[in-house]
Formats: sequence, structure tokens, C-alpha cells
Amino acid sequence: MFDSASLPESQRRIALVDVNSFFASCERVFDPSLEGKPVVVLSNNDGCVVALSKEAKALGVKMGIPWFKISAWAPSVGLVAKSSNYELYGDLSSRVMSILHEFSAHVEVYSVDEAFLEVKGTPEELVALGYEIKAAIQNKLGLPVCVGIGRSKTQAKLANSGAKKSAGLNGVCNLDTFSPEHIDRIMEALPVDNIWGIARRLSKRLNSMGIHTIKDLRDADPVRIKKKFGVVVQRSLYELRGIDCIKLEGERLVKNQVMYSRSFATPVTTRKQMEEVLAVYAQRVSKRLRKQGSVAGALTCFAGTSRFANEPFHSPYRNAVFSVPTNDPVEILKAASSVLLECVEDGRKYVRAGIMLHDVSPKTSHQYLDLFTPVHESRQLGEVLDTVMEKHGAFSIGLGAAGFKSPRHWEMKREMLSLRATTRWDELATVHAR
Amino acid sequence: MATPTPELVVRPLSGESLPAILAASTAVQAGFPSPAQDYFDGRVDLNTHLIKDVNSTFIVRVAGDSMKNAGISDGDEVIVDRALTPRDGDVVVAVLDGELTLKRLYIRSERVLLKAENPRFPDIAVDTLSELTIWGVVTRCLHHV
Repeated sequence: MFDSASLPESQRRIALVDVNSFFASCERVFDPSLEGKPVVVLSNNDGCVVALSKEAKALGVKMGIPWFKISAWAPSVGLVAKSSNYELYGDLSSRVMSILHEFSAHVEVYSVDEAFLEVKGTPEELVALGYEIKAAIQNKLGLPVCVGIGRSKTQAKLANSGAKKSAGLNGVCNLDTFSPEHIDRIMEALPVDNIWGIARRLSKRLNSMGIHTIKDLRDADPVRIKKKFGVVVQRSLYELRGIDCIKLEGERLVKNQVMYSRSFATPVTTRKQMEEVLAVYAQRVSKRLRKQGSVAGALTCFAGTSRFANEPFHSPYRNAVFSVPTNDPVEILKAASSVLLECVEDGRKYVRAGIMLHDVSPKTSHQYLDLFTPVHESRQLGEVLDTVMEKHGAFSIGLGAAGFKSPRHWEMKREMLSLRATTRWDELATVHAR
Repeated sequence: MATPTPELVVRPLSGESLPAILAASTAVQAGFPSPAQDYFDGRVDLNTHLIKDVNSTFIVRVAGDSMKNAGISDGDEVIVDRALTPRDGDVVVAVLDGELTLKRLYIRSERVLLKAENPRFPDIAVDTLSELTIWGVVTRCLHHV
């Protein structure tokens, strides 16, 4: 492990490590035939393109394009589509983060495929460290990463995009190794909306003040910027100058919101079907809650028709509060269906629904008299359901309407799903002996 | 009383361990409680014994019988560590024609060979190791008996 403790505080830097085309790269881990081919990953329900390999980008495929618009053209250019395999991506993501923890005591997991690390060392040492991180993740997982290093998170982000774009850097870029004149040239060449946290909308207003490039913002008057755009943009300005204003966050112990929401493969048109949906979702959301050892105090339940259909948009949205914080699927289902079903109208075409749990806290922080615990909760029904489903599959048991064995028609369409090779024993990848 | 003191083994607690076999470090005497019970180590955890690096280790399933003479049969699961450097004599997972393929690796001064452990299958020869993509090194075979 890199020993940073003995180095002076002035050599403290931020590294941003992210996996190149993460979802597409994950698909290649167990299917090397995809190496070098254009690959896209589709959203839930095989709807839109949510991730592309660089070869797919080079073909001109755009993020967010509906799959049906390009599926006929895809075979002619060798474009391969995959349904999103979140179990595989989630497991590989946690392996990446765990490897990163070997390189720094302070890691902020920023998203599924990127993390900020606190690192210390001379510019040359940090470049070497960047290559070491890159090699470790390549060797252990077969995933390609880029490393950007700077004096602030914003600089690290900028360095990372440099590492991606300039082939000569080989995936590692430390801003400190460039001369001030060179950094000026880089910042002059990039539009201001390339900065982390500056939205395109905001960049239009900046443009009207004569701020077009990243360098323009860095060299602007901080007081004037704060007055016009607020403290957030002022912070970006300072960060570009190398003053570290956005601190690394530790990992939050318990997320205070847990959600389960999905689009349907075919619209749900009756209250009866919606009840079935809620029964499944209540089970799934409560499983997430139990997994993190938490209980919820309140819930929001919603459904929605399509915004793009010819019929009027209908999106009922209701809240409920539990008398005692709970993670029991029966309680969650009772609350969700009692508030939502009365607003669901037969005949409308609902395309999505979800349950969001609020006021989430660790279970141990609640000690109630047994008297107030619902009977089925004290029997740990939720845990029993989890165990049965783990052993016999997701459709083996369910609450009320969710207990039907056949897959339900509104369940997600995932026709191009790869194997969940690291999380399911019956889906292990195949190694050929021939 | 001359009770031998068993070696105390400290293990990290693992959240997702594979419970397998109960083991105690000394034989249990009937009749009266043995002082050695205080040294009960907990169950043998296959994860800790079969997997050196959880981050770089993957389990894959074998299809085909070209490695039969190495004791690896069709349908067996093998444990593969991607972080290990492939050495002469290792059973490796190599990428051949875009597929994960199981072979025995031989590194000779003049050439590198990928051999099946079944005479029915031909060898694959290249000049240097760098011409091959070695996906990982097999460390264990979970053979179905």
C-alpha cells in the first residue's frame, strides 16, 4: 500500500478513478468476443441506450436513443446490444471500490463507476501511483480505468477527462506535471460547461458575461461570480485555481431513502393488476430495507401513464406514515395499496409505478414494546420470504397477488441479458474445455 | 490436569461466509466439559481457504472434457484468480477465438504451448506468451464426484 501518512500536507492531492464505458466493459469481462466491437447497454425494459463502448460512440450512436430506432441497422455494422445486467455491474463495481481502498485510506465512492481518492506524493510519484491503480484493476478484473489527479475534485475531474481523450497519456493524467502555460492552453480550449457541476443552462448565462472557456471562469472575479451565480459557481472557480473547496465525503452509513420503481413491459390498465404490481414492489423494497438492517417511518407510492401518449397524463402520488417504523412487507403493501389504489383508475394505461420509503433509520435504534409490533412482523415474515426466494427463485413465493408462479406480463423485458456470472450459482460463466 | 493448549487461530468475521463443516481444534471428551471448548474456532469457511483474493477471484463452469486427465470434468466448477502471473505448468483460462478456454500452459525457451489434458485435442503453439490473452490462473477445481 502507498504510504501517504509521512508526506507533508502540501502534497495532498485528489485522484478521480473511473472505469471507461463501465457497463459495456463489464459485459466484456465474461464475453471476450465483445472486445473491440461496438457495444451498447439498454435501459430497463430494453428501452433506450444507457451506455456505449467507444466503438459504438464512433459509429455515431447517441446516449438515450430508443433501441427500436437502431435495432434494424445494428447487425449491418456489427453493433451488439445487451440488456442492463445490474447484478453483474453492481458486483464488479464493489470489487473496483474494494481494490481502490488498497491505495488510499480515504475513498469517496462517487457513483457506480467512479471514486475520488485522497493521495499524497510528488507529481512523479502520483503519476506512478495512477499507473499502479490502473494496472491493479486491469489485472484483477479486466476493467480499463482512467485516473485524473489534481489539487481539487474539479481539477481531478478535468485531469480525468484529459486522461481519457489524450491517447498519449495512457490513461493517467496529473495536472501538476504540466507547466502553467500548458494548463492555460488546455483550459482555453475547453468550453465552460465541461466543468464538473456546470450545467449547460448555466453556461449560457456565463457566456453572456463573456465567460466561454474554463480559463475564463478560473480567471474571473470571484466576488462578481458569487454575486451573479451564487456560491456553487464561485466554488468551482476556486477549485479550478487549485483551492480544494468540495471536501471528500465519507460513506453514509444508512441511506435515508430507499426506492423501488420500474417501467412496465406492457401497460397496467386495471386496479387489480396494479395491486399485483404493488405486492411485488412492496416485497422488493422491503427486502432492500432489511438488507441494510433498516426500518422506514413513511412511504410515498406513485404510478404514472406515459407523458408521450395521446391520452391525458395521469400520475397519482400519495404518502403514508407508519405508526411504528417497519421493514415488514405486509405493512408496506397494506399502506401502499390503501393510499394508491383509490387514485388508480381502471382503463388508464399506466407505464410505471414505484414505492419510495422515507425516514429510514437503523433497526436497532428503535426499541418498542412488543405490544405495538404487528403480529406478522414479530414472526419475521419478511426474512422468511427472502430465504425462500433466495433458495427457490424470485417467483417461488409472494404476498397475495404477487404469489402467482408465472412471470407477470408487466414485468421488465430483458431479452438480451447476459449471465449474472458473479452472483448466481446457476448462471456461472462457461469456460470451454475443447 | 495436562490438557494440551491448542493453537489459537484468529479469523476475521465474514458477512457472507459459506458455512460448511463444523470443526474444533481438539477432540471432544465425553463426560465433563473440556476446557478446550473455549478455543472452538467456528466453522471452517471455504471462502477463506479456497479464495486468496476475493476481488480478483471468479468461479466459472467447465463445458467439455479436454481437461479430463487433469481431473477437471465437464460440469465441474473451477476457481480462477485473475491476479496471478501465469507460470509454466499452470492450468489457465485463455481467450481463444473470443471464448474462455481451459488449457495447461507450458512455457519453453523456444515457444509457448497451450495443451489439452486429453490426447484427442491438438496443442496450440505460439512464439511468446504476449501473443496469448491469459484471462486467469485456475487455483482449484470443484470436481463433482
